[in-house]
Amino acid sequence: MKEVLAIIQMNKMEETKNALDVVGFPAFNAYKVQGRGKQRGLEIVYPSDLEEPQKGSVKFLPKRMISVVVEDEFVPAVVAVITKINRTGNIGDGRIFVIPIEESVRIRTGERGSEAVS
Amino acid sequence: MKMIRAIVRPEKVDAVADALEAAGFVALTKLDVFGRGKQKGIRVGEMVYDSLSKTMLMIVVDDEKLEEAVTVIEDSARTGKVGDGKIFVTPVEEAYTIRTGARGL
Repeated sequence: MKEVLAIIQMNKMEETKNALDVVGFPAFNAYKVQGRGKQRGLEIVYPSDLEEPQKGSVKFLPKRMISVVVEDEFVPAVVAVITKINRTGNIGDGRIFVIPIEESVRIRTGERGSEAVS
Repeated sequence: MKMIRAIVRPEKVDAVADALEAAGFVALTKLDVFGRGKQKGIRVGEMVYDSLSKTMLMIVVDDEKLEEAVTVIEDSARTGKVGDGKIFVTPVEEAYTIRTGARGL
């Protein structure tokens, strides 16, 4: 099993949820997080030109993090779906990490392993 | 690659983030969590606080930079009192940048 941990833009949450549902991965956990990438947050540029752009004035940006636990063979599919929906080509589109999971248990029934995530 | 999940005091987050940035680890994700350690929360007089608010920092680094990053977090988050937090390290097999689809950090 693998956990696909995707950090995405807040406004792409609904679309991502729907797309994952359509391809058969309805189960996930979502978190509201704050973060920054290698651009060190955002630089504010005022539309009025009255003020100078301020470097690094927004240190952390609000993001959503979704965690989908799937069997190994479905990882490329999940990564492809999340990438396709979330790619706008702008900075801040997010990151996807794939993390190994050793065991999972469905609490209601006590099923373990692949039965618990299916 | 390794993911470092550090659970630190909320008031120390800025210090840790600045220290990490100075050491070259710019990218991070933080989320507010509630938890307790082996002291089972804290008690103030009659009131028992079962879980305390903490902030979890998530940083993904290359294997060879792991020690350095952990040391930076440790040093900047330490106050020496109970409740400074914990650092966990988990393996990360793949990383993708969504904008470009490129693999790796």
